[in-house]
Amino acid sequence: MTTGPDRQSFLGDRPVPYCKGCGHGLVARRLGEALVRLGLDASQIVLTSDIGCVGLVDPLFPTLHTVHTIHGRSTAVAAGAVLADTVLGEGRMKNIVMIGDGGATIGLLHLTQAALMNVDLTVLLHNNMLYGMTGGQHSALTPEGFATSTTPQGNWVPALDMEQLLRGCQAGFFARQLATDAELADVIASAIAFPGFALVEILELCTGFGVPLNHMDGKALRALAEADGRQLGTRIHRNDRRPYHEVYRERFPAPSGRPEATRGDGSPARVFAHRLQRPATVVVAGSAGERVQTAAAILCQAAILSRLHCVQKNDYPVTVGSGFSLSEVKLAPEPILYTGADAPDAVLITSADGLREVRGRGDLNRLGPGGVVIADESLASELSGDGVLTLPLRRALSPDTAALGAVAILNQRNGMLEREALLAAIGVLAGDGRAALERAVETAVSLAGQAAADPAEEGGR
Amino acid sequence: MATDIRAESAPSSLTLRSGNQMVAEGALRAGCRFFSGYPITPASEIYREMTVRLQARGDVALGAPDEISALCYCIGASQRGAKAMTATSGPGWALMIEAFQYALMTETPVVVVLVQRLGPSTGGATQGAQGDVLLAEFATSGGYTVPVFAPSTPVECFTLTMEAFSWSEALRTPVVVLSDKEVAMTYEAVDLARLPEVPVHARPMASAEGYRPVRFGALDEVPPFAPLAGSLKVTLTGSAHNKDGWLRKNDAETLDVLRHLEAKVDARARDMAMVTRDLQEDADALVVSYGITSRAAREAVRLGRAAGRRLSFLGLLTLFPIPVEAIREAARTVRRVVVAEENLSGLYRKVLGGALPDLEWHGVNTLGRMIRPAEILEAL
Repeated sequence: MTTGPDRQSFLGDRPVPYCKGCGHGLVARRLGEALVRLGLDASQIVLTSDIGCVGLVDPLFPTLHTVHTIHGRSTAVAAGAVLADTVLGEGRMKNIVMIGDGGATIGLLHLTQAALMNVDLTVLLHNNMLYGMTGGQHSALTPEGFATSTTPQGNWVPALDMEQLLRGCQAGFFARQLATDAELADVIASAIAFPGFALVEILELCTGFGVPLNHMDGKALRALAEADGRQLGTRIHRNDRRPYHEVYRERFPAPSGRPEATRGDGSPARVFAHRLQRPATVVVAGSAGERVQTAAAILCQAAILSRLHCVQKNDYPVTVGSGFSLSEVKLAPEPILYTGADAPDAVLITSADGLREVRGRGDLNRLGPGGVVIADESLASELSGDGVLTLPLRRALSPDTAALGAVAILNQRNGMLEREALLAAIGVLAGDGRAALERAVETAVSLAGQAAADPAEEGGR
Repeated sequence: MATDIRAESAPSSLTLRSGNQMVAEGALRAGCRFFSGYPITPASEIYREMTVRLQARGDVALGAPDEISALCYCIGASQRGAKAMTATSGPGWALMIEAFQYALMTETPVVVVLVQRLGPSTGGATQGAQGDVLLAEFATSGGYTVPVFAPSTPVECFTLTMEAFSWSEALRTPVVVLSDKEVAMTYEAVDLARLPEVPVHARPMASAEGYRPVRFGALDEVPPFAPLAGSLKVTLTGSAHNKDGWLRKNDAETLDVLRHLEAKVDARARDMAMVTRDLQEDADALVVSYGITSRAAREAVRLGRAAGRRLSFLGLLTLFPIPVEAIREAARTVRRVVVAEENLSGLYRKVLGGALPDLEWHGVNTLGRMIRPAEILEAL
């Protein structure tokens, strides 16, 4: 079959490549008529075609933009183009996805997501109930009892009902038609004009496989659909949802020259002194939600304010709200190349979760020469040896500030940073919680002073 | 790498930033206006950062229902003319591979940030790895060269993401930023006020005069781009196609288009070569590395020299196209070349051995943990 040049449908003069009796050519013609009826300009129309016989449609429309995609992904590619056009561009694109039941099967998630989001595009689902191009295999849209090359005795799995599926996605427009229906062009035009996601399922019989395997012709299609509980016509048409791009633009309007917020407003101008001669590695470990990583970040920020180099790595279990929380901090007067913490100089432990984790990692066995452990008093019975200091971190401070307290105590003992650098770092990083963190540093420093006066606290436990 | 920025920086402008955050910073600086992502450790921070930052600008950040969607959204957006990026890790990359080749075939610019970890999705989300290096490069069918850039610091995450956009746009080809968990999720001091300037090439744009959908003369020319919904008719297909963009099998013009996809990248291999050199006259051994391990390698060289060894270091920021000349030059005087990387069988070393077969290659390899400087020094 060939068609002559046709100004009335955007169809060119290429021969239609489909088998005699196939509905695909008819759908293309109805689409062209619909586009003309809508008064659209060729330059604003994008035809996004999927894989399969339906994907041969592109050259039939020589003046439209055509995008032939990979199998099943046509809807996602089209959605990206539509969102770029409607949010970032002029918003004049009309994107029509040409997909088969095979593409709809493998790309189902792209269809449901576009429907859920209500992306303003139109899907023409050419449902001939099997994969035609690859030899007539059954798809998720093959009706029960329908014979295909891979279900020669008839399919025994029910077909996916696009109408019910799209109702579940709150889609705004769904129609089911036969390719031969006289009103098909009107229905396609309504779908394209619909402001949001619209899908037209067009039932066809594949003349290459569906017809011979089922000994039926196109006239039997209506009865087949009805027997399978599929009703024809425009089944969903609701206008209570706005298209995605409208909602998006309202939520996230383009700023009118407003500068982005910048960080670091609380930074002091002064540079602090430090006494670090060589790199120092500190492991801070405690329980999730107890601001362990904040404490480590404050130590890093204090180092930055003291013109030291620093790296911080955080670790936590997959359940972010339970179990351990751990940070490794490395500080150095020179640029830090290797970021591993193989031999920590200090391990700070504020809870049993933290202790379990540092034991698992082996940090206590890898402690560097002269390394120290500062831990909460509750762990005293499990920790002993030189360099272990247990203090009432959680009791004298609070579970939330114990880690910062441990950092302040370590700093007080080894004097690597000025105490004011820690306080200034809190000013940089902390918002509303600033006063509590500053108090924690002061309390911790006095704890450290008491411990120094009472060496029994140290070791031997 | 790890340049001392403190001397010139006011402490007030230094801030802790992760590699992931600096990828986002680089993308925004490069003009990225469309991001789509799907959660996966260790890349999720890019997704979050891009979402917050793009939405604040009124640009598009989109959560996808899977990684295939994420890349396809980006491809569609880029075909409309937007600079687009997605970020993932190995398990998500596995899903993206077909769409990635589709971008290559349709000459659609897009940047994919691949943050390596142990795979599969149940494999070890928070353990670093450098095991996707060949999966990134050889993901496409046909032997095309995919530009792959590998940062080792937060600042390099910034600069290489910009380079990725620059080359992706200029060549109209997808580009991979190959990060790794230890680079991506480690926070370091960055001076946001003094980030390096990286010029970003523009996508060549088509005009009506002489327009064809895939227009090039010499094979290595980049066809000018026409956006979807513009005045010039766009014809795109992932199938082999002629210069009109129509599916053809093996006519001469179609085979030219296929060769052109490689030629345009290959012709610019020298311009794309980015390395960090720390070479020593008369060195007897050279260590070549990339990503997080290149920092341990440089430390190993520093330690070795302090002990009287003559050693050279070459950090590769461009992994593909392989910076062959830079490696040959660095290896000029050495007996042996050691490649340090976090994968069991020395994936990148294998392609280096193929590209430079006359050198004597050795490997330092681990899995599931970082390589230590001492281990590299021992092999040198």
